[in-house]
Amino acid sequence: MMQMTPIPMTIVQTLVMALIQIIAILAFIFVLVPMLTFAERKVIGYVQVRLGATRIAGGNRGLTGAVNKLMWWMGHFPVISFFRGLPIFMADGLKLVTKEDIMPAKADKFVFWLAPILCMVPAFAVFAAVTFYPGVLGVFPAWFPIVGGLPVTGYMTDINVGLLYILGLASVGVYGIVLGAWASNSKYPLLGGLRSAAQVISYEVPLTLSLLAPVILTGSLNFRTMSVDLATKMTPWAIIPLFIGFFAYLTCGFAETNRVPFDLAEAESELVSGFHTEYTGMKFGWFFLSEYTNMIVVSALATAFFLGGHYLLPFGLQQFVPASAGWIAQPHLIFFIGKIGFLLFVFLWVRATLPRYRYDQLMSVGWKYFIPLTLVNLFIAGLVRFMA
Amino acid sequence: MFKNEEMEINLGPQHPSTHGVLRVKLRLDGETIKHCYPVIGYLHRGVEKICENKTFFQGQVWTDRMDYVAAVSNNLGWAEAVEKLMGISVPRRARYVRTLLTELNRISSHLLWLGTHAMDIGAMTVFLYAFREREEILDIFEAFCGARLTTTAFRIGGLRDDIPPGFEAKVRAFQDRFLACVDEYEELLTENRIWKKRTVGVAPISAEDCIAMGVTGPVLRAAGVAYDIRKAFPYAAYSEMQFDVPTRMEADTYARYQVRLEEMKQSHRIVQQCMDGLPEGAVMAKLPKILKSEVNEVYHAIEAPKGELGYYLVGEKGGVNPYRFHVRGPSFVNLQALPMMTEGKLLADVIAAIGTLDVVLGEVDR
Repeated sequence: MMQMTPIPMTIVQTLVMALIQIIAILAFIFVLVPMLTFAERKVIGYVQVRLGATRIAGGNRGLTGAVNKLMWWMGHFPVISFFRGLPIFMADGLKLVTKEDIMPAKADKFVFWLAPILCMVPAFAVFAAVTFYPGVLGVFPAWFPIVGGLPVTGYMTDINVGLLYILGLASVGVYGIVLGAWASNSKYPLLGGLRSAAQVISYEVPLTLSLLAPVILTGSLNFRTMSVDLATKMTPWAIIPLFIGFFAYLTCGFAETNRVPFDLAEAESELVSGFHTEYTGMKFGWFFLSEYTNMIVVSALATAFFLGGHYLLPFGLQQFVPASAGWIAQPHLIFFIGKIGFLLFVFLWVRATLPRYRYDQLMSVGWKYFIPLTLVNLFIAGLVRFMA
Repeated sequence: MFKNEEMEINLGPQHPSTHGVLRVKLRLDGETIKHCYPVIGYLHRGVEKICENKTFFQGQVWTDRMDYVAAVSNNLGWAEAVEKLMGISVPRRARYVRTLLTELNRISSHLLWLGTHAMDIGAMTVFLYAFREREEILDIFEAFCGARLTTTAFRIGGLRDDIPPGFEAKVRAFQDRFLACVDEYEELLTENRIWKKRTVGVAPISAEDCIAMGVTGPVLRAAGVAYDIRKAFPYAAYSEMQFDVPTRMEADTYARYQVRLEEMKQSHRIVQQCMDGLPEGAVMAKLPKILKSEVNEVYHAIEAPKGELGYYLVGEKGGVNPYRFHVRGPSFVNLQALPMMTEGKLLADVIAAIGTLDVVLGEVDR
């Protein structure tokens, strides 16, 4: 683990460095989300004994025709054929951007615009405090303008209330859903918005409580410190609160992101599309993007705090790997991304498997089971910390 | 200070889970149903009146278009009702083939129900698993009569043609696979906690209420009444078949799910018996070129996948078409129970109740 020695930077250098990191993270999200939609088609397709997407809309002529012919040709080869539908994510994005933007006549125009933004901005801003790698990823070559010769860290900020910042921003997202539902001036969105408000608010409590276990274990709110300490510096007993906390957190994370089996806010078979029924085009696209970005955020937090983050082994088991083990004893960006990928797969897998809870059952599960469970877990975490 | 109002909401006629064009007017207090009023008729074509102006042979084509997911059952009901009206007796081999196809149709209808019902409750994978097997059954229908959905499978007096070559192998291949497939659906749903939470105790209707409302079929049997027309008033070749009538006492959505799954297994059993005991001989009775009825009236009911499907026919002297034709459609009658099942429950339960009633709007509206 590299120790950070702060290198003096001018304000301009700091800003440029931050800008580069922001662009890198945004690129990461804007690549990962479309890939995730593609993976969703494919994973669910294979679970459901079908192929998933293999073509894009369009005929045999022109650009789409060329792409479709290429994909037909790809179908002849075993592994390559899996990636046949890949161009569909570009087609999807293009469709969202170019679609006619319809607004209900009696909608509240300002709030109708504001809601998708309120959903999307916090989802992206959360990444400012996420540590992708707890050290220096590389150094800019000396010829690079302004920031030449400076190291690039695997995180944007190293604030000591990182987790608090993340939780605070994440709870702003629900306003987007509720306001969007209300501003549509339509009945199904209204029901969806009310469901979502109740659901997100009730699951925020166990979600936060389950994240408090790692906070107690490490005594820190700094994302980088927490993720490193949780992987390497725990007593063996810490596996109990981390294990319970992981499942509680992941379940509440499903509820927070409105995914199956807690997708009541947009329950297709009940509320048509729930809160975004009246949204079209890119305004719907922002809701969509924020939902998938939130999935990445939930996966990233679960990875960092429970699954050993940048290290190989989850639940604090990394300490048993001797430092002499070489490559696997070191933190790696690829471990972090890989675990996020696995958790995202779990999201899709669950979607293909489970039915949906009913509204009252969802509430009772949240208040009667998860809050007591996470409170007990918090107590266990305190006990482990006390013994250590 | 705050105005407390009930919200009126139209579930349908265009809605993902009203199975076609059913419109349910709901008055909601929060998410609780205060009042539920099904509005039907969006698919009304006047099938009964049309059939009165068609010959007996032509009328059968219209029965396909009522319950379009169980067209073979509808055909069987029509053919047998007309045969009863005319006093025609059907060769034994034809009756066996009819039984076989009708039971396959029951499986395919139940598969469609299972898929859409599970989809409504949110389990999307079962839908495609069920459709995989349904596809095979539709292929069998296609091999038999060239059509997949609107089959017009039978003729009055028997069958138009005997079973084609290769048909038996196709059915046997399906038979060998099917029970394992049912286990697959059960693995996904039967012990699934969320599935049980969404179905156990949901949309109950007691046996007394069922009888009072005229509800038949799996819904009635899930309330503990072992009424199955195949046993009570055997038709086709059912008197020669060994099968059980599954019942449950719980009368809820989960019980209906269990009853229908068990019925699929029993249908599988009947198909097996039909295949094994298929008699030789002719498949068509001797009929005149033009069928003319006497003054007579018949009511003939069969056990369609959704319940009692009754055809009421009145013939006039020398008539080539029925003087009066009336259908007692199981979907139509069962739908009456929807308000009883859902009032005071939650919005999500209405979706489950529409699914568990298994209505086909083509038959409700006719």
